Amino acid sequence: MVKFDVNGIQNVEVSKKIPCEKPLLWQLELMERYTETHRKFSSCSKERREAECLKVLFPALLREIEETDLFAGRLDFLPIGFGAVTSVGGVGHYCVFAKLRAFEKEIGEAYHDRVEALYQYWLSHDLKTRYCKEVLTETTIGRFIDVEYPLIATARLSGMMLDYRKLLDLGIAGLRALLQEQSSQEPDNEFIRSCFMCLDIYKESACYLAEMAYRQRNQLDVTNTKRYQELTDMAEALEKISSNKPETFLEALQALWLYALLAGCINYGRLDELLGSYLARDLDSGRMTEEQAYAYVKSLWTMVENRRTTVNGRIIVGGKGRKNPEDADRFLHIAMKVAKDCRYVEPQFTLRVDENTSEEIWDEALEALGAGATYPTIYNDEVNVPAVAYGMRVDEETASRYVPFGCTEFVLWGQSTGTPNVCINLLKLLTIYMNRGVDPMDGQYKLGPIQPKQFEEMTSFEEFYDGYRELLDYYMDLSIDAQYRSYEIMDQHVGFLFNSILMDDCIARRKPLLDGGVRYLGGTCETYGNINTSDSLYVIKKLVFEEKSVSLPELIKATISNFEGYELLRKKCIALEKYGNDCKPVDDMANDLYEFVAKGIRERGILKGMQYYLIVISNNSLNSEWGMRTGASPDGRLAGMFMNPANNPQGGADRSGPTAMLNSLSRFDAKYHGGSVQNIKFSTSMFRDNKLLMKTLFKTYFKKGGCHLMVTVVDSGALEDAMEHPENYPNLIVRVAGYSAVFVDLADCVKQELLSRTLYDEGKCRV
Amino acid sequence: MNATIFNIERFAIHDGPGIRTTVFFKGCPLRCPWCANPESQKAARQLQHQSNKCSTCQSCVRNCPNGAILCKEGRIAINREACKKCEVCVKVCPNGALSIVGQEQSIEEIYEVLIRDKDYYEASGGGITLSGGEVMLQWKVAKELLRKVKAEGIHTAVETCGDVPIEAFEELTGYVDLFLFDIKHMDAEKLRNVTGGSLERILQNLSYLTKQKEHQMIIRVPVIPEFNDDAAVMTQIFELAQRFGIPEVHLLPYHTLGIHKYEQLGMTYQMKEQGMTKEELQPYVRMGEQMGLSVGIGG
Repeated sequence: MVKFDVNGIQNVEVSKKIPCEKPLLWQLELMERYTETHRKFSSCSKERREAECLKVLFPALLREIEETDLFAGRLDFLPIGFGAVTSVGGVGHYCVFAKLRAFEKEIGEAYHDRVEALYQYWLSHDLKTRYCKEVLTETTIGRFIDVEYPLIATARLSGMMLDYRKLLDLGIAGLRALLQEQSSQEPDNEFIRSCFMCLDIYKESACYLAEMAYRQRNQLDVTNTKRYQELTDMAEALEKISSNKPETFLEALQALWLYALLAGCINYGRLDELLGSYLARDLDSGRMTEEQAYAYVKSLWTMVENRRTTVNGRIIVGGKGRKNPEDADRFLHIAMKVAKDCRYVEPQFTLRVDENTSEEIWDEALEALGAGATYPTIYNDEVNVPAVAYGMRVDEETASRYVPFGCTEFVLWGQSTGTPNVCINLLKLLTIYMNRGVDPMDGQYKLGPIQPKQFEEMTSFEEFYDGYRELLDYYMDLSIDAQYRSYEIMDQHVGFLFNSILMDDCIARRKPLLDGGVRYLGGTCETYGNINTSDSLYVIKKLVFEEKSVSLPELIKATISNFEGYELLRKKCIALEKYGNDCKPVDDMANDLYEFVAKGIRERGILKGMQYYLIVISNNSLNSEWGMRTGASPDGRLAGMFMNPANNPQGGADRSGPTAMLNSLSRFDAKYHGGSVQNIKFSTSMFRDNKLLMKTLFKTYFKKGGCHLMVTVVDSGALEDAMEHPENYPNLIVRVAGYSAVFVDLADCVKQELLSRTLYDEGKCRV
Repeated sequence: MNATIFNIERFAIHDGPGIRTTVFFKGCPLRCPWCANPESQKAARQLQHQSNKCSTCQSCVRNCPNGAILCKEGRIAINREACKKCEVCVKVCPNGALSIVGQEQSIEEIYEVLIRDKDYYEASGGGITLSGGEVMLQWKVAKELLRKVKAEGIHTAVETCGDVPIEAFEELTGYVDLFLFDIKHMDAEKLRNVTGGSLERILQNLSYLTKQKEHQMIIRVPVIPEFNDDAAVMTQIFELAQRFGIPEVHLLPYHTLGIHKYEQLGMTYQMKEQGMTKEELQPYVRMGEQMGLSVGIGG
């Protein structure tokens, strides 16, 4: 078995979590009770065991309602528990070992033995550890996030976007009736039985919170009539939804939120579509004022922010496939205002646009972006809907259910899984290939059984490229196997019951999500260093095989020696045309590599029997972290330097202005990927003084085939100054790639990468 | 046919309406001391040295076949008379501190860049602008370029100082949708002393252009402290606009974004180092508006 560090960091965590409010000993006892339950039900079905374990967690882990909350539902996480994703808690029955060790330190020596007992038990039961033990290898597949490897893999169920409409339309009673129907057909079905238990947990949690709201209300100062009313409304809403379907905006919001919390979901989906009609009804009937609606949505923003998932928290509005766009837009307008006013890093407020998107919505979006909110991040339905239809092999109506989660990965809400459980570093593979299989960073051979060809004998670029593609093929095989295996292993141990209940067609098939329940079993594979790689290939093609100004062995020697003694050659490499400047031969190279990898991954998914397996060029800050352990590359990038973000050019390589960059970006055919993010950065003065032109710029880019755009607007020089004086910039928000963050909270390598990106500012060549 | 240009700027949003691409031609009849593009003045190519990128490794000194580069007191010094622009130093500099400003490009090469943003021009009411330096000094090649661009239905603008033989304008009218015509001063002697320009010829050309009806005209005034930053001068310029029936005037606040280029070209900057704000020009805007003109700040 391969050795790996179970204590390693497992996900990007920039935003600091709010600590657990319960006493340490209480926490320890709960973890012990959880562990005991897990042990006790080990011979039962996985579904039963899961439900029994969930009963230990809920409602126990619910936090006190905060003074500003207008609806209820805050949750604590312990180092041991149950979940779906790594950002909150962990995956399946989990133990986050590093956090358990930290807990041990905090609670003190006296409890060492009890904590150690937990630690030892979970070493052989934590779901992700089970996966790692089986799938990781010595030199090719590493754990999330071990940047020594060209490929990293994990087990998780990220990005679930549930069909909350079912919950809202039917309520708990209606869901119970659905289960009853199935139960009468197959009384012994463990999955259906356990789903009943989940609905009980939901009811119990709602009642628990209602009681909490009443208790807080009764402790209020008599003069505080406003809060008295708020808590009464909250408690009544909770009581209502504990058994019945919601009827008001507040009830619908409360029902959805509580469910997402219990399901471990950290992306919320198309809330305009889900909540719009409740909102419209309440506003029109006079039950709620615009101000109250604003306050509820703002409270939602705060709740999402407070979960601090760093890269998730998606709330999506706008676009194709909404049943009642007029009502939905009323939610959208309020949300847009809240996003602009709050300027939180989460939720990741996402706007889908199409040809029917009104000028008013566009203007609101630009207004929020100009205020430095970095939101909304904009997706182009005219491109994405047909692309998703092709990529995921569904009709366009189904494709209009696409929603981006996390850093941008697409999923069909209520119908598909899309978790990205594998990441590949294309550039690291190129540097390994050029060094005959040995990673220049650590001297390890990382190509498994592949033996690269002799470069001395190569006479054409195609020969060189073929050799690289051969090892990409090998790694793409590893990728599909690692992804598929993650589903199998998760399925062996858990049912993800709360998720399953609101996903087609689990109840109808009486099967949990990963056991054949979900209608479309999809998945995604993140690729990194895409553009450094294609720019490097272009350099090789041009300098070695066309101009013949340097030999292949010499160029390889230069990169392996990190260009030391080859400064002039490096200058030449850098001076060559780069992606992002609307230069066709370079962009063609990028597209060729993109299509090779994207199609390769997609075909492997289909062959494996999945509905889809697509690459995402999404990017969190892994481009910077992985770059630190990736050798020098022929594009002139030095060893250890950050890699390009998503499919944007390497920072500063785009020297021809925003239209040229956007023209390059729009070249990739979106139908082969499952999401790709495009960053652009403007100075505040440039953006605010030219809003109309900005709008035209974005719209034209979308017309030309651009699938997505996210915009950072920042004062010229502000990032540089924030490096020197972080204390002056506590609220400076930047778009990293698939997420936004407070700039000064980021790691230095990420800050450097952000600084390197071109800031489009007022033209300099003016007389 | 080739043009000598020193830059093509895409997403240019200050040289006419909408999103544009601006081609900067090299060579100018004037020598305005505030010029933000000093590299535009001479028609010939020039060697540029960026001392902030220079590590004083002296590769250039050792390799220059003409002995035109020296190292004096730890700094690179260029003998510009001796420099033959052979580019040897540019190639050997490991830091990219040396470069040649100005390149010869064919009409086709330039056109190929201009056409790429056609969709953006159309959507924004933009187009292309020929600027400089002074594009009219290269009117023959400009005419061919404009003919090609216009054939694609793209809006064309020319920015000019106006101080060129009238023949140039005679040849170009019909291919230009908008002239951005600079008026810097209305005192002939002052204009000649400071910029070397001829007010008489400028006004003659302006008069000619306003008689042609095919194109739109905008007067542009770089507002320069201690030169024309003066209500009386501005009034004269506004009166000129009125007289010629030109309804629109753009005021360009003095800025110092080009200062660093003077040193790179071995030139000395003689103006003050503090730029103007848009707010400072507001009184002039009001003045012009009272005279019935549309006055804008910036491009």
